[in-house]
Amino acid sequence: MACRDTEPGEPARPRPRSPGSPRALARPCPPAAASARTGPGSPPQPRLSPPRSAPRPAGSCPFLGPRPWSGRGAGASPPAGHAKGQGTPLLPPRGPGTGRPPRLKETPPGGDRDLPPPPPSVRLAWLDKQGSTLGHFVNGKWLKPEGQEPVTCRDPCSGELLASCLQADDGFVALAVDVAGRALEAWSPLPGAARAQHLLRLAETLRRHQKLLWTLEAMASGRVVREVRDGDLPLAQQLLQYHASWAQTQEQALSGWEPVGVVAVVLPPAFSFIEMMWRICPALAVGCTVVVFGGPASLSALLVAQLSEEAGLPPGVLNVVMGTAPPETLLPGLPGVAKVAFSGPVQEGKALRRALAGSGADLSLSLGTESLLVVTDTADLDSAVEGVVDAAWSDRSPGGLRLLVQLSAYEEMLWKLETRLRRVRQGRSLDWAVDMGTRGPAAWERAQSYVQEAQSQGAQIFQDGSTPPQSPFFPPTLVLGLAPASPCAQAEVPWPLVTVFPFRTAKEALAMSNGTPRGGSASVWSERLTLGLDLAYKLLMGTVWINAHGLKDAAAPVGGCKENGSAWHGGPDGLYEYLHPVGIPPRPQGPPQLLDYDKFGLSAPPVLPSGTSPASATAPYGVFVAGRFQNPSSRSSRPVLGSGGRICAHVAEGGAKDIREAVEAAHKATPAPGWASRVPGSRASALWALADAVSQRSQELAEQLVEVTGSDLADTRTEVVLSIARLRAWGAQVHAQGAGLHSAGPHGPFLRLREALGVLAIVCPEGAAPARLCVSHRVQRPFSSTLSSWQDMAGLLPPGLVNVVTGDRDHLTRCLALHQDVPALWYFGSAQGSQFVEWASAGNLKAVWANGGRSRCWDREGEGAGPELGLRAARTKALWLSLGDI
Amino acid sequence: MSAQNQEIAFDITWISNVQVNQPAVLRRAEQIQTRRTVKKDWQAAWLLKAVTFIDLTTLSGDDTSSNVRRLCYKAKYPIREDLLKALNMQDKGITTAAVCVYPARVSDAVKALKDAGCDIPVASVATGFPAGQTHLKTRLDEIRLAVEDGAKEIDVVINRSLVLAGQWKALYDEICEFRKACGDAHLKTILATGELGSLTNIYRASMVAMMAGSDFIKTSTGKETVNATFPVAIVMVRAIRDFYWKTGKKIGFKPAGGIRTAKDSLAWLSLIKEELGDDWLKPELFRIGASTLLSDIERQIYHHVTGRYAAYHDLPMA
Repeated sequence: MACRDTEPGEPARPRPRSPGSPRALARPCPPAAASARTGPGSPPQPRLSPPRSAPRPAGSCPFLGPRPWSGRGAGASPPAGHAKGQGTPLLPPRGPGTGRPPRLKETPPGGDRDLPPPPPSVRLAWLDKQGSTLGHFVNGKWLKPEGQEPVTCRDPCSGELLASCLQADDGFVALAVDVAGRALEAWSPLPGAARAQHLLRLAETLRRHQKLLWTLEAMASGRVVREVRDGDLPLAQQLLQYHASWAQTQEQALSGWEPVGVVAVVLPPAFSFIEMMWRICPALAVGCTVVVFGGPASLSALLVAQLSEEAGLPPGVLNVVMGTAPPETLLPGLPGVAKVAFSGPVQEGKALRRALAGSGADLSLSLGTESLLVVTDTADLDSAVEGVVDAAWSDRSPGGLRLLVQLSAYEEMLWKLETRLRRVRQGRSLDWAVDMGTRGPAAWERAQSYVQEAQSQGAQIFQDGSTPPQSPFFPPTLVLGLAPASPCAQAEVPWPLVTVFPFRTAKEALAMSNGTPRGGSASVWSERLTLGLDLAYKLLMGTVWINAHGLKDAAAPVGGCKENGSAWHGGPDGLYEYLHPVGIPPRPQGPPQLLDYDKFGLSAPPVLPSGTSPASATAPYGVFVAGRFQNPSSRSSRPVLGSGGRICAHVAEGGAKDIREAVEAAHKATPAPGWASRVPGSRASALWALADAVSQRSQELAEQLVEVTGSDLADTRTEVVLSIARLRAWGAQVHAQGAGLHSAGPHGPFLRLREALGVLAIVCPEGAAPARLCVSHRVQRPFSSTLSSWQDMAGLLPPGLVNVVTGDRDHLTRCLALHQDVPALWYFGSAQGSQFVEWASAGNLKAVWANGGRSRCWDREGEGAGPELGLRAARTKALWLSLGDI
Repeated sequence: MSAQNQEIAFDITWISNVQVNQPAVLRRAEQIQTRRTVKKDWQAAWLLKAVTFIDLTTLSGDDTSSNVRRLCYKAKYPIREDLLKALNMQDKGITTAAVCVYPARVSDAVKALKDAGCDIPVASVATGFPAGQTHLKTRLDEIRLAVEDGAKEIDVVINRSLVLAGQWKALYDEICEFRKACGDAHLKTILATGELGSLTNIYRASMVAMMAGSDFIKTSTGKETVNATFPVAIVMVRAIRDFYWKTGKKIGFKPAGGIRTAKDSLAWLSLIKEELGDDWLKPELFRIGASTLLSDIERQIYHHVTGRYAAYHDLPMA
């Protein structure tokens, strides 16, 4: 295992002994004699591993006292809190007949001596042909501008130098964006069918050069070549074909939408090839042009760009710019980028979100790599173990795993994991007989520091123990005994670690799963259909697999919620990321303004008594929270000025506490038997009842509008009628939310669900009547100058479903945008407010829709009721059902 | 061969809570075939290893003493002598693991192997092979007669009707009877997995067969429409592993039927290595029931040694 014939990649990394590693867990090195290859027919060969100097700071799997296992569910004892920090954990007897698999000590590791050694180094002719330095691929040709710093690209497994690539500077990035902008003029007007042909030709070209592609990707990324060949390349082909068929029917299927423009794609260090394909395929298909930002591990992106040129893609449509500079330093201030698709770590995503606030570029984030696996006691445990391998101990997944195991299956699951862990083979990425490669020194450091921190917090670490100390490979690792409250347990689990938590009931599993900021992907393992489906429905995740892990399909949307960002790729959802409704002018673009984020809307400007009394006293007073009007916490009010500058009403001056209460009330209206769990028909009839109530008071509303806006009575009547029509229309749409069952080949079908966003905050535009905006979800709206006649309608909707807080817009916006428990926010106000909302959304990565200061014509069908609202008002979830037992 | 397995008390809880998820097992089966690719010297070594696992089989209506004799000599000399010499393996005693025939041919095989001067065991199918649809008394007699003729291993077929009816205790009792009838001979229990209906049933039948004292569990007779497949094997070897953890007894595994190419045999070896470990990679615990596999392995060895693909007449027939 872990044979190397060269030194690992720089920098040399220290291997400190963990302070918390108990003596008894340190493992002596295996006998060197065991490393001779003794397969018949092959001469014994020395193993190429360096001598061991220090024992691993890793230990063995701790278990409770000896209890011969005899059937699942036979009253397992609680595993938490045992053996913590003690020098010698109580190890039960091991071996045949004890009901437990043999300890690792009994069988020396290195059982893979019958397997061939890693292959010799490969020099790729393609790399050699580029010379010592790879440039950027822009405008259909290689560019190597003078004066850019070279960055070295190394094979993470061997540390060998593969190539150098240049580091793009601001000027060059601007050039690339400019090239893409010019290419857009020819690319986006092309008929969809022509673009489909381009994509298919690219697929054909990739197929012709697939060996080069998989070799290069494996060498540069350190992932084993087999996964790239059997996983990534077929998926890339499928993606190109799937999106070609969308392009072919674009004029019919996507009428009413146009491409957003130039898309900047920022690649993650691992999985860069397939992540790039997930994003460029839909972008190119709908008519966008792309600038890809890759790092030293993304050499395959350059190759794809070169092959796209060979496939006849017009120059400038697909550009690849290399460099290691963080995107937040390059991208802001670049006019011309309409959309930034970022994939990478959570912190970098948040930094980019802040940096791009107010720039006008749409940002879609897919962050984080951790995944979740829930094993119930009705699961096929052996298959669940393979699920764990797919999710963490292989090169199929980018991140580590949080593993929740039901207590009654806990011990048996751990034995099986322990046995399986020993069979995982690590080695050079070009070795066809290994399971895992490596992801470079930075990933190694992340894993090691997590292990050390976990150990210092009382966790038990279990590793195979056969990895030599100076190895670049981080062994598959089990982390046991952390509680959710341990500081370490809140961090993202890095690859290739599995952190295990026991749970008692399915309800507890759900609470533990949804109680983290992660919202990416999860799998549920149970043979009971009722339980498996229920858990899958209730997990707050972008993708949930039942009895499988990591299945992918071009038609299945992949995305997330919470800290994973709200970007989607794949399926129709992936297409809409790169589309913009026709007829709505895009947001103005430009460098972000200087805005003091600490001061924006910090307090509401004081309102002094003006002496004039309001014209009508009919409007109710107070903030509308939890189904009733109540006094604002500020105990002050603000006048609503009518058309003639005179005061026509007073509204309550809401503040931070009102927002807090309103959000709490909205959350209370959410869970079952709340609004989201109601049958669609019931939601529709509630909206229709509201429409009826509005229509009974239409005359009064129209007159009030005249008073406030100074428009014609005829106009305001039209407006009220339109509001009523919108309410009815959205009520009808409750039934058709685009959810459906889709087939995904041999893997079985998946469900595309449209789920409620949760609590949605809406900051209303100036002068808009509330009924103009109505979406079939929980809504919370602050607005500064409007009026309402809610009192008699309040009883129509459940308390807390709609809460209205009035007051100073900037102040209320600040309160909402900084509220961590608001998962989505729509802002229609000033440019500054938009910038602030986008900046503040980095806190919990709430889904933000801000208008950037551009006013929206709510009375027009496309802008006020178009499909864009429907798309933004709900969240997609892909639920994979694996089936087949015949 | 190792000491016999003895039956243990029937425990219904070992099979009642079993969950086998078929799509997940199918995915694992797909993966396991591609994850340990061995080439060159290692491939040759693995192939020679595979030869020593083969139960060289002939189970045809037209078997006579002459072709059984040919088969026995092929079992003794599975790979051409000069090829073995080129690999420096001529003195390692590479033979197939056993010769497997119908009960009526056991005495022919025993005699032929004695003439060839080797102690390769003769395995006999029994108990109304392949359907098992005869009376228990005749099935037991069949075993006893085969043992009297000199069979060292008995491949019995189970009564599928008991599995499909869920009569696990009755199945256990029947196999216990087979065990007794075998005497000193080893008992290999054929589950006929193609006729059991589900992977869960396959796991249960495996567990019952092991509790009843089988030394080996075997996938199929080779006469069903679906024979040895990787998903079935994964379920069976997981049952073997669970049984080992519970009892400390190592039970052997024998896939049979449909394994024809050298490449297949490598995948089977890697499956055993991955799911059970190196301990099981020996003839006492792993067999491959096959008739044509050996000639393909010999062709691959020929190619490895000479660099040329062999013509059919280059290699002696079985």
